[in-house]
Amino acid sequence: MLKKIFCWLYTAAVFTFLYAPIIVLMAMAFNESQYNALPFKFSMRWFETLSSNTKLIDATMNSIYLAAITGVICVILATALMLGNRETSNKIKALVNSAVVLPLTIPWLIMGLSLLLLLRALGLDRNFVMLLIGHVVVSLPYAVLIISARMQDMDKSVEEASYSLGANEWTTFYRIIFPMISPAMLAGGFMAFMISFDNFVLSYFLIPTGTTTLPIEIYSSIKFGFTPEINAISTIILVLSLIIISIIAAIMGSSLKNLVR
Amino acid sequence: MSISKIIKKITITILVFIMMLSLVGCGSNNMGSNESNDGEGEAKLVVVNWKDYGSDEQKVIEYFKEKYNCEIVHEYMASEEELLTKLRTGGVGKFDVILPNASILPVAIEEGLVEEVDTSKLENYKYIFEKFMTLPENKKGDMICAVPWVWGSTAIAYNTELVDEEIDSIHVLWDEKYKGMIAFRDDFNDAVMTAAIALGQDPANPSDLDAIKQKLIEQKPLNRTYWKTGDEFSKLFANKQIAVGMMWSGQAASMKQAGEPIEYVIPKEGAIGWVDYWAIVKDAPNKDLAYKFIDYMISKEFQEAWVKSGGPAPVNSEVANSLDEKTIKDMNIDEDSLNKLYFIAYHGEDVKKQWNELWQEVKAH
Amino acid sequence: MKKKVFLMSPAMFILFAFAIVPLFIMLYYSFLSDGAVAKFTLDNYKNFFSKGFYLKLTWKTIKMSIIVTIVCVFIAYPMAYIMAKVINKGKNILLLLIIIPFWTSQLVRAYSWLVFLRDGGVLAQILNTLGLISTTDMGILFTSKAAIIALVHIFFPYMVITIYMSLEKLDNSIIDASKSLGAKPIETFRRIILPLSRHGIITGSILVFVPCLGSFVEPRILGGVNGSVIGTVIEDQFFEIYGWNFGAAIAFILLAMVLLSMGGMSILLNKEK
Repeated sequence: MLKKIFCWLYTAAVFTFLYAPIIVLMAMAFNESQYNALPFKFSMRWFETLSSNTKLIDATMNSIYLAAITGVICVILATALMLGNRETSNKIKALVNSAVVLPLTIPWLIMGLSLLLLLRALGLDRNFVMLLIGHVVVSLPYAVLIISARMQDMDKSVEEASYSLGANEWTTFYRIIFPMISPAMLAGGFMAFMISFDNFVLSYFLIPTGTTTLPIEIYSSIKFGFTPEINAISTIILVLSLIIISIIAAIMGSSLKNLVR
Repeated sequence: MSISKIIKKITITILVFIMMLSLVGCGSNNMGSNESNDGEGEAKLVVVNWKDYGSDEQKVIEYFKEKYNCEIVHEYMASEEELLTKLRTGGVGKFDVILPNASILPVAIEEGLVEEVDTSKLENYKYIFEKFMTLPENKKGDMICAVPWVWGSTAIAYNTELVDEEIDSIHVLWDEKYKGMIAFRDDFNDAVMTAAIALGQDPANPSDLDAIKQKLIEQKPLNRTYWKTGDEFSKLFANKQIAVGMMWSGQAASMKQAGEPIEYVIPKEGAIGWVDYWAIVKDAPNKDLAYKFIDYMISKEFQEAWVKSGGPAPVNSEVANSLDEKTIKDMNIDEDSLNKLYFIAYHGEDVKKQWNELWQEVKAH
Repeated sequence: MKKKVFLMSPAMFILFAFAIVPLFIMLYYSFLSDGAVAKFTLDNYKNFFSKGFYLKLTWKTIKMSIIVTIVCVFIAYPMAYIMAKVINKGKNILLLLIIIPFWTSQLVRAYSWLVFLRDGGVLAQILNTLGLISTTDMGILFTSKAAIIALVHIFFPYMVITIYMSLEKLDNSIIDASKSLGAKPIETFRRIILPLSRHGIITGSILVFVPCLGSFVEPRILGGVNGSVIGTVIEDQFFEIYGWNFGAAIAFILLAMVLLSMGGMSILLNKEK
């Protein structure tokens, strides 16, 4: 009983810490002052100015779009990589491990710059494909780490049973492996999405002229004036994500529970 | 593997590929569409400037759309150096107009990143103050490569509610009385030059960098924090976290207009001056429109309205002459103030590196 | 064999072509001098090691990252354990709730910490109203404490996720067996649970430590006058002056340090096996 209380308290404390700045962020979206000054005075003005700020809205849409594609590609690549990596020699495993972790160790500044120089060397202009590749490269390690963690201790015997019962590789994958790792794939995809969505540095270097993403817009505002419109749009994004997640959770509710064992 | 397996595999690969391609394709359409020119013959002018710094105001955009059927597209910069980076990595031939200040303009000119300006194409050029026409930074030999636009100073701003004396000396930044309530600027140019002024050295050519380093180290613990971006300063100020700080004249004026109890002063020892220039990028795709743009930016119409709503000091002498005494004094754009300013100039990469490293060392101390 | 190659090659190709090749480009640039005429030189590296303050800053950054990582482990582990072992329903919801704050931009969150932690800010006012402190001056903001708080906030969810995933796989029957053999909870934890979740802790630590080393947003905004870290120095090389080659050298030194520490960690890992 005591244990349960402690657990609840601890969880509450952690979530308080986690959401404190988020709540402040949202509160400031409704605060009159453009300098985030207290005392708090309610106002919707920032949402009003936001609705006419098409540039910011476009930027957000671009970010979401880019992050979504990055997420999907990362999950596919990571799953494929880990599937293939299971039965390789230790040497190859080590090589793959290092290759995957490598992008994490490169400051994004360098990554962005080097990719830009690569473009120049190839005689190409900045384009969406390279931007996407850059995002995939930095997000891939996260997806891989999550999916490999799940795959590592997956019970081989179920798989082998499936083969011995006559199923081919694809069926085995589809009906045995995939359900077992799908939460990890989902989590990996979300991670990749998150990383890409907030990525300023890479986008800054590789984005084609004339388009922009949300982090770039935010960073550009900081020299002269970062108005709470930014808070307003962040709030909207947050609320929308919460709604979407709730819907998904409600729909998938019980089936997810079964997958997680 | 049996045939059917192989076929299945290939099919799946192709499907995945198509899916990916279509996503990418959609993405490019989504994001690339801004690049292509609409068939209506509407031109695009690409301007690189700070955010919310005059050229991206609604009325400017509308004016150009109506008058020239031209859409102004902005690309923003967060530091002077960033502008150079953008130019060096593919900006030539893509951007039309840029706003370098005196510290990087010579570099841009030297590297051939900007075009020569034919001032006869600018109606309003003749109205620019003498002083700005004679500064060396925007010239290469006899050729003019950039047009001065606005100017200002970086000096002392203080909160009249928290400070009850009249400040007139740069040494207030070193005053123990305001310990923990000062905000110095995190920028190596501003730091070195301000310390030089405080020590009586020539900011354009400091004679004793070690003394400057020491002076800056002395100053460090008196700060609440350093500020780098205008927004950081306004937040510190509005939330009464600081009483005194280094600030730009332009922003101080707009904060005052917004109702903040801020007072701006150019200290008797002098202060830093700066000039922002418009330049036309080499091989700009819309040169004619670029000229029209610059002309509008230095026109009485634009500059007067901007100054009145809290913009920095105009170079257009007509505007200055039509402003009332009080505004002139408030904005510190009177003759007296102008003469106390040491304008930021370009010193060469080696000196820049040296000053930057000095400042890094102060910050790491 | 063919299947393996087919599965692994897209990812490996992308990693090699676009992560490893740029590294070599960076290495190449780090040996060029900054300035008008680039020539091959060791000066960038010499400069870094000869100036005492660069090394001091590096050490400070490492210390900060270690502190952040350790705090993250201590906060995340219990949370992950609760999620994996104690709670039966709603695991995934909790997981998603932990991830959601990440759809807000790092920069915006840093600014929110300003409002929260500053003297007279939200935290101060709450504590003051509750009577827990007498003034509204907190003295937290603009010190390294604030930067650490913000960094922990950003990174500890990664740790929660990785530890959760490794705890999740832990078969409850092993724990039950240990208990039925008479082991006290502490012993069960120390000898069974902790070692088996090692992988999660290590992975999480990498995901926290490495980006922390290169961070520059939070230290600069929240760290006050002592907010310089190696990340801000690198940032300045690219945005304040044209010191790309020197910046590349610093980045490479940082990279070398990371690889060394990870090599060290993997040796530790293998020893225990």
